[in-house]
Amino acid sequence: MSRPAEHDGTPALALAGGPAAHPPGGAIRRIAILGNPNAGKSTLFNALTGLRQKVGNYPGVTVEKKTGTCELPSGARVEVLDLPGSYSLQPVSPDEMIVRDVLLGLQRDTPPPDLIVFVVDATHLERHLYLALQVIELGRPFVLALNMIDAARAGGIRIDERALERRLGVPVVAISATRGEGIGRLRRIMERDVEPSTVHFRRWPPHLERVIARLEARLPRHALVPERARHDLALALLLDDGEDDALARHASPEVLDDARILSRGLDRRTPGWRSDDVEGRYETIGTLLHSAVETPSEHRDRVSERIDRVLTHRIWGPVLFVLLMGAVFQSVFAWAQPAMDLIDAGVGRVGNGLEALLPAGALRSLLVDGVIAGVGTTLTFVPQIAILFFFLSVLEDSGYMARAAFIMDRLMGRVGLSGRAFIPLLSSFACAIPGIMATRTIDSRRDRLTTIMVAPFMSCSARLPVYALLIGAFIPNRWVGFVTLPGIVLFSMYGVGLLAAIVVAWVLKRSVLKGGKPLYVMELPPYRMPSWRSVLITVRERCLLFVGKAGTVILAISVVLWFLASYPRGGAEVHALETRAAAERVAGHPALARDLDRQVAGAALEHSFAGQVGRVLEPAIAPLGFDWRIGIGLVTSFAAREVMVSTMATVFNLGNGDTDVLPLRQHLRDALDPRTGRHAYNALTGISLMVFFVLACQCMSTVAVVRRETDSWRWPLFMLVMMNAIAWLASFAVFQGGRLMGYGP
Amino acid sequence: MTDGDTGAPDRPLDRLDPGERGVIARLNGDPQITRRLMELGLVPGTPVELVRRAPLGDPIELAVRGVHLSLRRSEASHIHVAAG
Repeated sequence: MSRPAEHDGTPALALAGGPAAHPPGGAIRRIAILGNPNAGKSTLFNALTGLRQKVGNYPGVTVEKKTGTCELPSGARVEVLDLPGSYSLQPVSPDEMIVRDVLLGLQRDTPPPDLIVFVVDATHLERHLYLALQVIELGRPFVLALNMIDAARAGGIRIDERALERRLGVPVVAISATRGEGIGRLRRIMERDVEPSTVHFRRWPPHLERVIARLEARLPRHALVPERARHDLALALLLDDGEDDALARHASPEVLDDARILSRGLDRRTPGWRSDDVEGRYETIGTLLHSAVETPSEHRDRVSERIDRVLTHRIWGPVLFVLLMGAVFQSVFAWAQPAMDLIDAGVGRVGNGLEALLPAGALRSLLVDGVIAGVGTTLTFVPQIAILFFFLSVLEDSGYMARAAFIMDRLMGRVGLSGRAFIPLLSSFACAIPGIMATRTIDSRRDRLTTIMVAPFMSCSARLPVYALLIGAFIPNRWVGFVTLPGIVLFSMYGVGLLAAIVVAWVLKRSVLKGGKPLYVMELPPYRMPSWRSVLITVRERCLLFVGKAGTVILAISVVLWFLASYPRGGAEVHALETRAAAERVAGHPALARDLDRQVAGAALEHSFAGQVGRVLEPAIAPLGFDWRIGIGLVTSFAAREVMVSTMATVFNLGNGDTDVLPLRQHLRDALDPRTGRHAYNALTGISLMVFFVLACQCMSTVAVVRRETDSWRWPLFMLVMMNAIAWLASFAVFQGGRLMGYGP
Repeated sequence: MTDGDTGAPDRPLDRLDPGERGVIARLNGDPQITRRLMELGLVPGTPVELVRRAPLGDPIELAVRGVHLSLRRSEASHIHVAAG
């Protein structure tokens, strides 16, 4: 009825948090660390908080929220928030939008900090001060940390800290986060009540200033937004072209309309106004540096330039890149194996121990085959994750990752991905779990999601046992030229996955994940020695996150799978077999009894929900050449692809403890189709099944990790449906095509 | 822009030879992308050097305000430089 007027107290901007801008006495102070990417923010965060860190997500977005606690010299504790690295308060990525929203008080779950510790790279002050000025202009308590001061001194850069303090109106501390230098002084400042800067260094053209002031006057006053920040809110509203959801959510339609009209007016009268403030700020920085910093006339990072002459060389660059990637891939693939075997053996021992302790029954079965198996699955991924993230953080922190992306960008760009997608996809050949976790280094959300969606097409090591079984059973070991037929088939399976990934990435980037203005600008930071402490903290954090967040989903699914494979129990046939086995054991025929035990297991599985699902699935998978026995395997292998092998062993009444797959191969070859009396499977079935395994999303751990990384069920479910549809169609084409050519079983 | 009235011929940044320097004259193209490039220091009047091209010819590496940036040629072609 009545239009909300601005003077009646209805806020035109809904803002987060309570009424008080500062916590009442005694409450924990919140400190945010902020800065450009490569400023050494995370190293400082680690130096301040050590292992007292927590990682979560900002609600509804894939941006990670890192907080920790830090003890100050007085013994007081403060909460430290590590904000994502940003270049500007005018966001172009979800990360930067979070930073802007937190600082302007628009982020619901994260009230604005009581103090901002702004980290700049002292050797690149000119560029890093740009965001610093923007943030100082917001009028919040602010400390400038001149990081990498040791490198600046070594390069002959002399910074007059006192002059900077006077000119900026904020405390300035020189630190070296890697060496721990100056951290004590920073802690002492963090304890003080820092007054916001009162210096005004905006030098914008008057026409822009007038328009901003007009819009600013229409914004309501709010306790969480300092008077000076209202100016930035007004500018953000003017610059927004309707894509900024956070602003649109928070501002009233009237204010948004005003902003649109005003910015259209500016477009007409003064084209170029959208970057006027940028030029103004760089002018300010120029005068500031002139009076406070002495830089050698020709300051260049000679060491980095010399390294780059080799590492990004036209020929040596790609060669060294391939060698380095080969080493990383090899270590994830092979070095993790001993640790994984150890974990497997340990989990097996725990299972056996429990089996000995507990009476046979549902509880024991649940614990051993459901819970412990699930925990074991989760833990076996940890060595791969640890090794990959060790290399990733060393490559990232040393500065090489940006060069790798520089070298690969053109190639990956052909399918619409960024150069940074290469390493996650390569790691996915060992295992998609660490590969998907490694996509965090991709800045663009759409590129990152595309990479996540195609990573599981890379043939991971869990598919190898399945390929080995099927190739061994159905592909004759013949030489074709200088390679063997099994070799060709195995190689083709890797090729099929790669091809699927390229096609799907191409399609996704032109459909679901289309849009956004692609801007691939990336900094090539100077080479630096990584901080080993930071590297180890990252490795630990990634492992804990996987076990904690993805592990719970894996555990839940493995209990469900256990239930499907174990219930309903019995049936007359199973009971009769059990009785016979017991009788034979009493009669002193252990070999016969063991044989009957295997038949019990086979019959029980056939009888279970999993067996029933296999039969229900049969009409759907028959066109692919699969019968209900393979159907059971497709259900149980959702726990992990290699489970297919042990399930087939159980179905064919071979104890699944047998490591020897030779009898299983024979059974697969001999298996009969009860309706036709002919062989149920042949080479065509084997290839069709392998193609299905290449393309189908049959891995609960992948689903769990995609759920964790995208913070939603939408993308893992999309992946599940998309991959399985592609797998079905491809296997259908292979099997029916082969049959038409007369290769059917 | 700063060089607008001198009439100095300018050319797209991606056409520079490796090692060649120039001064940014103007930026055109999408306003949002232009703004971000300027925020990264590519403001008219700033000296810039094309350091090298990637092994496959794209992207290119720039040095501006002491910082090395990698840009795809399609984006760099919107930045015009005059002889420095």
